[in-house]
Amino acid sequence: MSMAPRLILITLFVYATGFAQNKEVLYDFYEIPQSLMVNPGVKTSQKWHAGIPVLSGLSVQGATSGVTVNDLFANDGVDFTTKVQERLLSVMTDRDDFSSTSQIEAFTVGFRGKNRLDDYYSFGMYGEMDIISYWPKDLAILAFEGNGGANLGRNFDLGDLNLRGEMVNVLHFGINRKVNENLTIGGRAKIYSSIFQFQSINNSGSFVTREGQNNVYESAISADMQLQTAGVKGFYDIIEEDTGTTKKDVKSLFTERTLLGGNLGFGVDVGFSYNLNPQTTITASVLDLGFISNSKDVWNYTFAGSTTTDGISIVLPEDIDDVDNDKWQELIDEIDAALPHGENQASYISWRPVKVYGSVRYDFGQGGTGRIFDNCGCAVNSGGMSSTSDYYRNSIGGQLFMIKRPKGVQAALTGFYQRRFGRVLSLKGTYTVDKYSFTNIGLGANFQMGPVNFYVLADNLLSYSNIADSHYASLQFGFNIISWNGN
Amino acid sequence: MRKLLYSTLWITGLLCCTISCMEEQDFDQFDDLRVTPTLSSGIFYLESDEETINLAGPLGSFYFQEVTFEAFNEQYVAERLIEGTMTYQIQNTTSKRLRIVIEFLNEDGRVLDVERFDIEANSPDIVEYPVFYGAGGKNINILSSTKSLRVIADNLSVGSSVSANPDARIIFRSGAEFLFQLQ
Repeated sequence: MSMAPRLILITLFVYATGFAQNKEVLYDFYEIPQSLMVNPGVKTSQKWHAGIPVLSGLSVQGATSGVTVNDLFANDGVDFTTKVQERLLSVMTDRDDFSSTSQIEAFTVGFRGKNRLDDYYSFGMYGEMDIISYWPKDLAILAFEGNGGANLGRNFDLGDLNLRGEMVNVLHFGINRKVNENLTIGGRAKIYSSIFQFQSINNSGSFVTREGQNNVYESAISADMQLQTAGVKGFYDIIEEDTGTTKKDVKSLFTERTLLGGNLGFGVDVGFSYNLNPQTTITASVLDLGFISNSKDVWNYTFAGSTTTDGISIVLPEDIDDVDNDKWQELIDEIDAALPHGENQASYISWRPVKVYGSVRYDFGQGGTGRIFDNCGCAVNSGGMSSTSDYYRNSIGGQLFMIKRPKGVQAALTGFYQRRFGRVLSLKGTYTVDKYSFTNIGLGANFQMGPVNFYVLADNLLSYSNIADSHYASLQFGFNIISWNGN
Repeated sequence: MRKLLYSTLWITGLLCCTISCMEEQDFDQFDDLRVTPTLSSGIFYLESDEETINLAGPLGSFYFQEVTFEAFNEQYVAERLIEGTMTYQIQNTTSKRLRIVIEFLNEDGRVLDVERFDIEANSPDIVEYPVFYGAGGKNINILSSTKSLRVIADNLSVGSSVSANPDARIIFRSGAEFLFQLQ
């Protein structure tokens, strides 16, 4: 197999692990400082925390809502073309997607205000890559089966081409405030430093070949398509030049873009936690309500127009004097003129994928005298405050996650159970239903060894019995240093 | 720091490998993929009224033209062409017996193949002539080597008769439906 198809396959099915962006195991897992990143209004109890640079938060998520690697590549003796036909082309719809999200935290720091103990400030920087490509069903069928045979008269929807991807570096600062015994709110401002962005999301048009009114067949195409890119051409040019300093140049450009040298954007996160009663808490957050203004290194490609053709046409007597014999080229030129394709450098705004979380949690099983945060000196949301739920060893509840995607909102519903074993260990199990899986069981563990905090969260554990057959996989882990008092 | 990063990744990777399994996968199967779309397109359309035929006189050609035709000649297409059918449809409502000849010419102008259609007068029903290329049919190389078509339309009757059919015409249609192997 040549390299190009291999790379495509790897991209689609293996490395491109990652859609969802749903961090259902982390959400409201308030023992982990990174839970602030999915709800700035989560309850905080620590005095300060610092993520170990690069290791405080690393997450990779992957998903395919249709075919899996195993569906196609299992060594099952079935003809590969048959598998593509039966398990890919006949099954997947234009709503199915391949997607990938990875996130790495460069650093994160949080601290409680000296004068206002109810305020917890946090700031940091993380990089994120997010790519989603919907299955271009009609275009795939057109390429695989063609416009003839059984597909005569079929309208191929050119709008099936729908993809978006970006890599951003995010600098953020957040404030988390305990308003009263029952309510904690939070907000986070974000500056997005775009490394690259591309999107082709508002395409429309159709292509059809049918019995012609004049000739045997006629083909009609109507297209309004665009691919917008920002920051891509800069990298492409460096690689294309291949001057011997390519690696250095790519690194230099990447660093520049990372540190606010590329296209910039702004966004906010907001969230809250509210105790309905001592044992019941509701939470919600809205993340990445923001945009990036793409004006540097912009390169857009357009393809628009409409035409109908039925081949070379001679009608007598009108064409009796037409002795031009280059009619084939004329036909090609006519089609080309009717479907202009071009490039431009027009600036554009790209919206961040907005995410919304909501949850309800019921705590039970009081811990008795073994308080979890006995030595906490911060006196906020910690031991010594009987109204808080930190005393409870068990939590059970449900979560809702929604994300705005190019083809609409995608949602996931999660049920969870959390068990705390003193201050040292906390476990959270989740069951999530979304478009990718009905059997997604996740598990998260948070270890606290003195001030050293380590957490690991994994999704869709049942799929580990045959990871190649998984529609969804995610892994997240990190190290932090946490202090609840002056140490 | 780097050591710590690598250690963490190794431990996590090892953990995943320990608890996860994967059925045997064979990615080389991709080599077995066959992408063979069927493509259809109108090719050539000729229409003439009876008056134009009469003007050419008896037993004369009322249309004679060589036109470039490189639909199958492009290297990418020619290399992937497997088989298919050229379909010709003819409808003649004139009072003339007619003959339409299509000559397939290569780059040097040499005739590679000829399709000849003799059409009876007053034939309002569409008559279809499928011509298959490929195994069991004509040589597919005829099409992949064709650079132009010579189209000749002859009147085999007198040059004065007029059909009783309203708006009498000869209509010649052609289309192609071919199988390609892209992968």
